[in-house]
Amino acid sequence: MTLHRRELMKRAGIVSAGFAAGTQLHTQGVAAQETELTFWDTLNSPPRSDIADNLAASFAESHEGVTVEHRGWSLDELVSTLPRSVDGNQGPDVAQVNNGEALMGPMIRGGQLVSLASYAEQFGWNDIFPEGLRARNMYSADGTVFGEGELWGVSAESEIVGFFYNRSIFAEHGLSVPTTFAEFEALNAALREHGVEPIAFGTLDKWQAIHIFGAIQGTFTTREYLDNIIYRRNDASFEDQSMLDAAAKLVEWNDNGFFMEGFEGVNGDDAVPLFTAGMSAMLMQGSWAAGSVAEGLGDDAGFFLMPPHEEGGTVLHVGGVGIPYAITTNAEDPDLAAELINSFVSPEAFAQFVEAGILPAGEISDDLIVEGTLSGDLYASWNAALAADAVGHYLDWATPDFYDVITAQLQSLLGGQIDPQAFVTALQESYAASFE
Amino acid sequence: METTATGVERSSTPVRSSRRRIGSLEPWLYLLPGLLIFTAFMAIPTVGTIILSLTDWNGISWNTALFIGLDNYTRALGSGQFRNAFINNLQLIPFFVLLPAVMGIIPATMAHQLALRGGRWFQAGLFLPYIMPGVLIGVVWAWILNPIFGPVNRLLKSFGWAKPPVWLGDFTWALPTVGMIGAWAAYGFCYVVFLAGLKKIPTEQYEAARLDGAGFWQEFTAVTLPGLRGEIAVVLSINLINALRAFDVIKTTTDGGPGSETQVMALYMINSAFGSNQAGYGAAIAVLLSVVTLVGSMLILRLAGDRDG
Repeated sequence: MTLHRRELMKRAGIVSAGFAAGTQLHTQGVAAQETELTFWDTLNSPPRSDIADNLAASFAESHEGVTVEHRGWSLDELVSTLPRSVDGNQGPDVAQVNNGEALMGPMIRGGQLVSLASYAEQFGWNDIFPEGLRARNMYSADGTVFGEGELWGVSAESEIVGFFYNRSIFAEHGLSVPTTFAEFEALNAALREHGVEPIAFGTLDKWQAIHIFGAIQGTFTTREYLDNIIYRRNDASFEDQSMLDAAAKLVEWNDNGFFMEGFEGVNGDDAVPLFTAGMSAMLMQGSWAAGSVAEGLGDDAGFFLMPPHEEGGTVLHVGGVGIPYAITTNAEDPDLAAELINSFVSPEAFAQFVEAGILPAGEISDDLIVEGTLSGDLYASWNAALAADAVGHYLDWATPDFYDVITAQLQSLLGGQIDPQAFVTALQESYAASFE
Repeated sequence: METTATGVERSSTPVRSSRRRIGSLEPWLYLLPGLLIFTAFMAIPTVGTIILSLTDWNGISWNTALFIGLDNYTRALGSGQFRNAFINNLQLIPFFVLLPAVMGIIPATMAHQLALRGGRWFQAGLFLPYIMPGVLIGVVWAWILNPIFGPVNRLLKSFGWAKPPVWLGDFTWALPTVGMIGAWAAYGFCYVVFLAGLKKIPTEQYEAARLDGAGFWQEFTAVTLPGLRGEIAVVLSINLINALRAFDVIKTTTDGGPGSETQVMALYMINSAFGSNQAGYGAAIAVLLSVVTLVGSMLILRLAGDRDG
């Protein structure tokens, strides 16, 4: 929190120079109480920036003498600026701090963040988010153990990866949304047989390779195993049957033509317009693409999550919570900063996110879900995953440099350069080396 | 005011002396702005990078930095990823260094000999890729080479090639494709340098060669190439520096993929320093990259210098 001391001095000077005594007292009284909360995040363009500005204004309105300043950055800018600003005592009171070792862990170890453990109880955050989601924003008090201990951040948004589909193409070929993994495979085979490209996605810029692999792996794995891998505990290893099965299945799907031809040379985001132009029946993407898909396909767009091997079974879906808000050690009034964070996860805030087509981090109220629409499909899928605590992980969180490792290995696997065993071995070698 | 010789002497001695002092400082004052800029933007960052390269620092909190001596260097030199990136840089040299030089010298010679109409527009057109930002070049070429909607594959398919390569996503084609994009981006610069060099070669030399019965090729090898020795050295040095620090085009086209086929040292450095919070290790790679670049450039200039001598 920044007290406007210079402003106060200036005002005091003006006042002593000749304002009436009553005015003096009034001005000084207001100025002395006036505090400014600043928060930095990545909500830098509409509709997100509008929501952040609205929330800031609402908070200021409900707290007399408090002004709230919001600044939206690009993620790269925020990551490079935030730690140094906090070190220089010029950081914000509240900021989005990237989960895990990307930023949160190092900042806790650097003494730059305030634990939210006491606030979690005070504001009931433990009830809003299931354990699986809370764990992503948790670290031990010394910042060395990820996924357990104290809460250090609270996310307002969330995301989940699944399959957008074109209702018209499905209807044209008499196909329906699959409820089991086998049905999903049969659906892809049928589409290929009908001469329709089944799944649009692209791996040229790498990141989507993690999503398609993670989506398959999530059907073979358990929450315990995946948590152990990501939170680096209990001697977890990538040399696991679920990893091998998923790698083999990925190769099989590629051989069977389930993926759009030429996906190796297409960027992930470029697959969206190809799908909305009707070039494929499905699009593997995260919920963040819902706006573009709705704009391109209108009422024809639908969404479903990767189905389980057995009907009613659990799949761990690739996804997670948005970048969490944390309190920096620059905050002069952490209690007020925590109140500000709580306003970001209030029902009013969630309603604003939903209205803008953005998934909030908590459960979406049933009255906002309209069946048979893209947003209805998406919200119902999210609520179901949340209720089952089935929001999995992004596998590249496993080590700081795992993104480069797993994306390169997945491209090699899909390009036929290595087999599933060599793929798993390479992942494990890199994972094991990170403990040395 | 009355003055005596002595008085003048007395009063002028300190003035002259201070003028002499200012006079002796004058060159330094002229140098000062440049020196300040050099210190702020070259010397301090260079020394800072060298110091950082001796630490285990995550780039986030200063209080977690640890001095580890030369560990980052031994780690880099023993790393398969670093070796792979270095080899990829070497493989890019024919594309980034030699090819643009060849692609530049041919139109330069033609433009010089034929004195084309609208030559300035021709020159501007050839030079355009060099002044375009690398990021833009990468994005545009990724679009051109897109296997689904890019014009290259659409054209190839219209000629009956049912399944042309996916170029940037293909394990065989990715590196040569990125290399060709780099060559396209650089040849305009080579063209302009060579054209300027050609204008310095006395026309008498060409006339003498023709009188001796030399054809185009003999003229080119006996007059043009020796006359451009200095320009060739400059072009090769600058192209080599660009080849070793190649980053933007690769980042925006393949991001080092597929697999690690186009991973280069600059990309590995950025990913290590900022992608995986290993600022100390990234700094060590930056220092190694600078040393390699310096040695390579000196080698080329030395070779060109020997020939001059």
